[in-house]
Amino acid sequence: MATVTLDNLHKAYGETVVLDGVNVEVASGEYIVLVGPSGCGKSTLLRCIAGLETITAGELCIGGKRANERAPRDRGVAMVFQSYALYPHMTVRDNMAFALKVAKVSKKERYAQVDEAAALLELTPLLDRLPGQLSGGQRQRVAMGRAIVRRPDVFLFDEPLSNLDPALRGHMRVELKRMHRRLGATIVHVTHDQVEALTLADRIVVLDKGQVQQVGSPRDLFERPANVFVATFIGAPAMNLLPVIGEGETCRLEGLEQALPVSGTGAFTLGLRPSDMFLADSGIPGVVDVIESLGSEAMVHVTVGAHDVVVRAEEPVQVNSGDVVHLKLSTVHRFDGTTGRRLE
Amino acid sequence: MTALLLLLATASASEVTVWHSYSGAEQAALEQVADDWESTHPDDRVSLVALPFGGFDTKVDTAIPRGNGPDLFIAAHGNVAKWVLEGVIEPWTSDTTGIAPVGLDAFTVDEQLWGLPIATKSLVLLYDPSRIASPPQTTDELIAMARAETADGHYGLAYQAADPYFHAPWMHAFGAVAIDDDGTVSLDGDAQVQSFAFARRLAVDEGIAPTQPTGELVSRLYEDGDVTFVISGPWFTADLSRPVAAAPFPMVSETGLPARPYLTVDGIYQAKGAPSPELAQDLAWAIASAHGAQTRQDVGGQAVTWTATTGASPLVQTLRTQAETAIPMPTHPDISAVWEAQAYALRRVMRGSASPERAGREAQARFEQLQQKDVVEVSRSPYIAAFGVLLLGLVGMLVVRLRNPELRNELAATKWDYFWIGPAALAMIALVVTPFVLGAAVSLYAYQGGEWTFVGLSHFSDILLSRDFPITSPMSFFYTLAVTILWTVTNLTLHVSIGVALALVLREPWIRMRGMWRALLILPWAVPNYITALIWKSMFHAQYGAINKLLAIVTPGPGPVEFDWFAQFSTSFAANLATNTWLGFPFMMVVTLGALQAIPKDLEEAAEVDGAGYLTRLRHVVWPLLRPALLPAILLGSVWTFNMFNVVYLVSSGEPDGSTEILISEAYRWAFSRNNQYGYAAAYAVLIFGVLLVYSRAANRLVGRKVL
Repeated sequence: MATVTLDNLHKAYGETVVLDGVNVEVASGEYIVLVGPSGCGKSTLLRCIAGLETITAGELCIGGKRANERAPRDRGVAMVFQSYALYPHMTVRDNMAFALKVAKVSKKERYAQVDEAAALLELTPLLDRLPGQLSGGQRQRVAMGRAIVRRPDVFLFDEPLSNLDPALRGHMRVELKRMHRRLGATIVHVTHDQVEALTLADRIVVLDKGQVQQVGSPRDLFERPANVFVATFIGAPAMNLLPVIGEGETCRLEGLEQALPVSGTGAFTLGLRPSDMFLADSGIPGVVDVIESLGSEAMVHVTVGAHDVVVRAEEPVQVNSGDVVHLKLSTVHRFDGTTGRRLE
Repeated sequence: MTALLLLLATASASEVTVWHSYSGAEQAALEQVADDWESTHPDDRVSLVALPFGGFDTKVDTAIPRGNGPDLFIAAHGNVAKWVLEGVIEPWTSDTTGIAPVGLDAFTVDEQLWGLPIATKSLVLLYDPSRIASPPQTTDELIAMARAETADGHYGLAYQAADPYFHAPWMHAFGAVAIDDDGTVSLDGDAQVQSFAFARRLAVDEGIAPTQPTGELVSRLYEDGDVTFVISGPWFTADLSRPVAAAPFPMVSETGLPARPYLTVDGIYQAKGAPSPELAQDLAWAIASAHGAQTRQDVGGQAVTWTATTGASPLVQTLRTQAETAIPMPTHPDISAVWEAQAYALRRVMRGSASPERAGREAQARFEQLQQKDVVEVSRSPYIAAFGVLLLGLVGMLVVRLRNPELRNELAATKWDYFWIGPAALAMIALVVTPFVLGAAVSLYAYQGGEWTFVGLSHFSDILLSRDFPITSPMSFFYTLAVTILWTVTNLTLHVSIGVALALVLREPWIRMRGMWRALLILPWAVPNYITALIWKSMFHAQYGAINKLLAIVTPGPGPVEFDWFAQFSTSFAANLATNTWLGFPFMMVVTLGALQAIPKDLEEAAEVDGAGYLTRLRHVVWPLLRPALLPAILLGSVWTFNMFNVVYLVSSGEPDGSTEILISEAYRWAFSRNNQYGYAAAYAVLIFGVLLVYSRAANRLVGRKVL
């Protein structure tokens, strides 16, 4: 197991800047998830760590040693690709043993290691098949197995679950979590799915436009988002953002006569998670627009002043479209109106 | 409509049709003669039909016996004996006064005249009038003059010394002939051997002539003013921009006899079954004699046989003078075998790989090998019986299968499908199956002097048991097969390794202007291969070739490199190989480029992260994924290469001594330059088919089993 340190990492293709000064420290044995919208640079960052892309500026250390110039094979990393990248002409066994074969490990020993990893991933009956004869989930496990067999210092996962159907994805998330616990490995996992990030990560790195927006535990990110971007990216449905003007103990929302019971001064952005509000007999008035039922709960879209606010409510919901309702707030977030940074 | 029919009827009644293969000035002259004749015969018309030279003789052979021929046709004298035999032509019984006797000789078969000679062609001595005032009278004078002319890349004399047609003047001067009237050939006779020695001295030892001269090279040298004397015919002057003078051949000093070239005589023949023979004869005489001859001489530049024409140009005058001593080209059926054997001897003598005596002996032996054996007719009955049994078996199998009701139902359900594939099937039968069956049938016959004799499988047993040649001789089937296999294997190895290597380089990210490189590298494939072959052939020329010029730059020591690439098997084979590799690698490169595109980049990256270096990735990831796309290409390429006639025929032409010949070019030689032994050649073709069939079946099976 090893630490991974990214110190002011830059990556550019000509004029196009993809990574713009990334600083992250991954502790040994930590499960780090890089999350962000597509095009934010997360996959490039992972490929920089793997050695598949050159680093334009800054330093990458793996296990405390500079790795910028090291060839991929000398970095002690194993990577699982989004497409799995299984060698189509090799059996599952040979796929998993390939890295050991290249490393000139004896046949006996490498097959023993493959058998061990296969048992861990329940792949033993599939060892003699070709990748083309496997289902998507099985291929995913083989790709994992191939990484495990190498016993790398660092695992790199590039959207490993995105090609699976939702049910299987949920199952594999649990598998990944178990595997991490059992191997105690350092894992850097890239995804665009914030659920994956929240459920798997020890710490999450949120990336946008090549810059780190926030690094922290899932709870941190959820409870104390560092800025508007993180606030809306983490949590589903997304946090409601309302531009308000503070008047000391209360603040005012455009189009609403009644003041909101939130203290503050000057113009700022008020952040309200759907789960931090509830429908009540009195409070902030609004008109129900649409109701989305999710079975045990529902998302109620309420028009407050000139704004649409989503509120979580327990089913059965007792209101209908067009009804006048009142909202009570539990937790609120405040963000700077211009920079979007969190205000404490 | 009726009027038109009437018109056609009257027109055909008095129309004389003449076939010829003239073009350019000769054609214009003939048209003028025809017009003049029409003006004196107001009721009659002449229809001149110009046919391509290549298919002319075949057309005559096939059309006239079926009554579709012309009244008259004009052709060289080479086939007179054959046409007499086949009954294609009528004898000429009218007056021939005024026509040169040498022409008449050429058309006389069994003391009967079979056509009217109209013009002659032969080699003459051509020279640069700006350098030579009066032409030499003897060969000693010729050599002395040429020696004085030779200096600094300028040569005294250039001619195709190793070609029997160009050697003939010297051969005749030494008193030898290619073939006697009774068919006797003695290439090892003293006279022949002396003529070989003389040719060697003239073309090599005196140092007055360039080495390995081809027709193109001789033309180019003269055009560039780099040679003084040339031996060639009237065709040489046609495209020349520099002035040229002509003289009859000099006397050979050693024997005191004149050098006498071969004479080709064009004649006009009366086809058998011409509807109005008197009219046809009248037109023939008009073309051959007096005014017609004068027109052909003045307009067409022909050396006519009519002795009374006036005002001939110096070249025509020389040709006519030469015609008086020239010897009509032999028409004996064995002559092409003589020429092949003689060419073999001349090449060896010129190259210095055999003394004239030895070359003569070997040429005689070779002629005897090439000469058709007496054909023994074989009874057809066992073959017919075997064929019958086979047919019966097939019918029986068909009946048994058709009795299966399932198959019958299936056939009934899909009968429209057969209708739809019918046109394609018919085309395949007409274009593929029929020629194949006919070709295979030809292999059961021997062709000799226009006669087909059934010989059954004896060609095959002769070839496969190597009865006519020792197995190590380049003439034997197995020697050629071994060369062909070596040829195929070495070619494919180079094509694939170069093609794959280039495709891999083209894929590298550091390559700039990828599209341009790709287009450039595909170019060799886009140029027709015979053009490429001819270019490479000239690049390997010992004296003027680019390859030797490049070698001269890289090798130490002064002076030019004049390495003869075609003098030994290894380098001659290498020259063929280089040419065909140049032609072959782009195909493999294109296939590889396509297949590489289909390999996901992830796979190589995965292997890279797995610790594989570049070569390991190539071997374990890229190559296994390329292989399925490359194997069919390799299979296809090997069949193409196995039958790559153009390169072998044009670059090495089998040199030295037929050792670099491959099966397909050897089959061609049997069919077209060794007495038209079509049956023997067809047997070669069937064997080639068999070899390729076995090969492709075996390869397919191995591919299917994943052995390959």
